[in-house]
Amino acid sequence: MEMTTDVTVVSRARSGDADAFRQLVERHSQPLFRVAYRMTGNEHDADDVVQEAFLRAYRQINSFEERANFGTWLHRIAINCALDLLRARGRLDRHYGGDPETAEMTGAARSEAQQERLLMSAELRKQVEVAMQRLTGNERTAFVLRHFEGMPVEEIGRTLGIQVNAAKHTIFRAVRKLRESLEPLARTTWNT
Amino acid sequence: MEHLNEEQLVLHHYHDDESPVAVEKHIASCEACRGEYDKLRSVLALVDELPTPERGTEYGEQVWNRLRWKLGSERRKSRTWYSFVAAAAVLALAFFAGQLWNSRNNAPIVQQQQAAVSTINGGPAPASATKDRVLFVVVGDHLDNSERMLLEVANADAKRELDLTGENKRAADLVATNRIYRQTAAKQGDARIASLLADLEPILVELSHADKLSPEELTSLQKRIDSKGLLFKVRVVSAETSGREMPVAPQKGTSSL
Repeated sequence: MEMTTDVTVVSRARSGDADAFRQLVERHSQPLFRVAYRMTGNEHDADDVVQEAFLRAYRQINSFEERANFGTWLHRIAINCALDLLRARGRLDRHYGGDPETAEMTGAARSEAQQERLLMSAELRKQVEVAMQRLTGNERTAFVLRHFEGMPVEEIGRTLGIQVNAAKHTIFRAVRKLRESLEPLARTTWNT
Repeated sequence: MEHLNEEQLVLHHYHDDESPVAVEKHIASCEACRGEYDKLRSVLALVDELPTPERGTEYGEQVWNRLRWKLGSERRKSRTWYSFVAAAAVLALAFFAGQLWNSRNNAPIVQQQQAAVSTINGGPAPASATKDRVLFVVVGDHLDNSERMLLEVANADAKRELDLTGENKRAADLVATNRIYRQTAAKQGDARIASLLADLEPILVELSHADKLSPEELTSLQKRIDSKGLLFKVRVVSAETSGREMPVAPQKGTSSL
């Protein structure tokens, strides 16, 4: 049987139907967690962001325009929640964790044996995570929104409260840092 | 066209460049730029491997279980505040009415006669009766709030941990109120309400002290609520105070926010 559309469920939730809101929570929690995790880089923070996003959605559900897409609206709320959390922790202007110096060494000073080991996908993913940790909160957010979420650069600028050119440059800085960390790995993977 | 710099390649990759056709043509014809562009794309393809911790199909349900407590508080926040002020105002009025009555009617015999006359004539009840009624109404509101909290615990999935974040504060508020009403009921000789509140208090205290309940703790608490028939008793008194229809039998409550 086809699942009831968001439009119908949202309409019921707006009229105070708790079960309808429950359906929306169950339907949208996973995608929200993914974007929250990509932005915060931390599992527990991502869980908190998901909770907070639904709380805000609940408070603001009457301001949601039914013509709009509920998932997109919810995503925007989650992104703002994640940004608020990063701001509150002072993480927007600094990198997330790990040692940037060590991260910069990845690839360049790595032995062949190590590079072979990196071909194992688990290790590879770990290195991607380390590379992402080198980004500042702003860089990570801008990059995640552009790369994973496909958000237009103008909207990223509005979300981060910066000019379009500054948003483009932030994305560029993020990509450059990722290249520095990951290009040697990409080369190895490419040659294999 | 000159070679493309790194920034131009990034912009092109994300379709954010102003002349994508020209850039595309250049990449097709320039080996050096094509090489750089391929490198960029291979790095960004690796980023797609960024791991995201798995959340099972039950994740949505878990989020809801944590969330419904908070949503319940949201809904009740304004109502609780309003009823608290209203209750305080009514209690104050009852107190002054009682003081006034006592100052005018010192002799107990006169009071008894007055009460008897009032009852026969269907006139206004004496101040002590008014105070009893006020207590009844205010306790009813308190029981209403407590019932919702008991329902959440009684209906929670005992196989999972129950997150009480935010709710323990509400439980602590209920404990404080419960204590006052229990003492007042005992002083006024209302043994039934005093006993009910005495049964309710340890459950509320336990909820106020926990951030979360393990499945074992939750099961134990559910058994305690069930064994005392607490939900049913709370519903009965709550229904009496609000003039609602009496519950007919103990039953598992339905989901509520």
